[in-house]
Amino acid sequence: MKKLLTLLIMLTLWPALGSAQVAPWNEIKGELKIALETKGDAVRGEAAFESCQGCHRKDASGRVSGAYPRLSGQHATVLMKQIADIRSGQRSNPKMEPFIGDHVLTPYEIADIAIYLNGLPISTTIGKGPGTGVAKGKQLYEKDCAVCHGAMGEGNAAKFFPMVASQHYRYLLREVQFIRDGDRRNSNPDMVSVIKPYTSSDLEAVADYISQLASSQK
Amino acid sequence: MIHKDKHLKSTTGPRALVMAALLTLGCALASPSAAQDAKTIATTVCSACHGEDGNSVVPMFPKIAGLQEGYIVKQLRDFQSGRRKSDIMAPVVAALKPEDFLSLATYFSGKKLNPGAVDDKKVADFGKMVYFDGNEETGVPACIGCHQPQGAGHLIYPRIGGQHVQYVTQQLKNFASADRSNDVSRFMRVVAKRMSEEEIDSVAAYLASLDSK
Repeated sequence: MKKLLTLLIMLTLWPALGSAQVAPWNEIKGELKIALETKGDAVRGEAAFESCQGCHRKDASGRVSGAYPRLSGQHATVLMKQIADIRSGQRSNPKMEPFIGDHVLTPYEIADIAIYLNGLPISTTIGKGPGTGVAKGKQLYEKDCAVCHGAMGEGNAAKFFPMVASQHYRYLLREVQFIRDGDRRNSNPDMVSVIKPYTSSDLEAVADYISQLASSQK
Repeated sequence: MIHKDKHLKSTTGPRALVMAALLTLGCALASPSAAQDAKTIATTVCSACHGEDGNSVVPMFPKIAGLQEGYIVKQLRDFQSGRRKSDIMAPVVAALKPEDFLSLATYFSGKKLNPGAVDDKKVADFGKMVYFDGNEETGVPACIGCHQPQGAGHLIYPRIGGQHVQYVTQQLKNFASADRSNDVSRFMRVVAKRMSEEEIDSVAAYLASLDSK
């Protein structure tokens, strides 16, 4: 009986699945929409962020090792989207997921945390790359990355493009590898196709260059 | 019934102590008077195990001095509802009135938790590392994030600085196995499950001597 039911459901869904359009990477819907429409409260955000501090540190500077990213000063829209994507499974992050699932935070608290973090001063203790790839990295960055992430790595809040300056080298490197290899499923497909042909040494060079951008800020 | 409590399995000494404590409790609970104030209950009921000022001297019983008021109330409620299981606490709490919870919490929360001493500095030093940095490989968050640098806790996060090694170790193991499941947002069950036995023992050793004021 159960098998029959499953079969029926599958048959019903089949055409829908076959013709399903893949949702755009930056579609504003569900709890991201709620969070974006919420006027976040930094005081409530500070309290909600308390359970994030164990990994991201009290000042949200993350870890120089790159294990956890710097979040301080990041665009609120970017933070909301990433949290919503991790909650929905669109971005896989098994380490973090249990601490931000919907049994922990409401969509409104996502907005609170994002506003709070956005208001924090950008950390200055940032893990830098070896510096050996800077020249090549600069070339690649200016050709392929600056158009979205900005000449100074400032990103674009309205378009969900993260500020990449002042980010830890090891974190940048890990994520660009994930994005190139299709392991970060919530990526902008435009970026995936741009860095698809990048070699590992290209990625290292770009991450190296970006991590040095931190020092030129402020 | 008592045998089910894991932390009582090891020796007969503590078991005898528990029996003595329960007997004392039995006497106290047998004659409930309507107008018991917090101090009376604290010194006649709770003190048998937790000490008059909430600084228990028995390593398996937690120090409850200085714990957050809200935390104490929550634990008492959870013992009463069975959300936190304890063969020792269940009958004790059953004999209390819910309105006593807050006054008891206020009473013990106002006491000072006295830290213990470091037994093994090497172990405690490793524990300090875990406390401040966690484990990036396995995703153990630093304890400091919620429980604060001196282990004083904050808001819903209880004070843990100065707590008995044996109690902390047992609770972390209980969280890891989900035998204790009354943590807020399942945080401690996730964290403890990611911790190695060495990390659990070391953190507990480090915490024991922390003076959280």
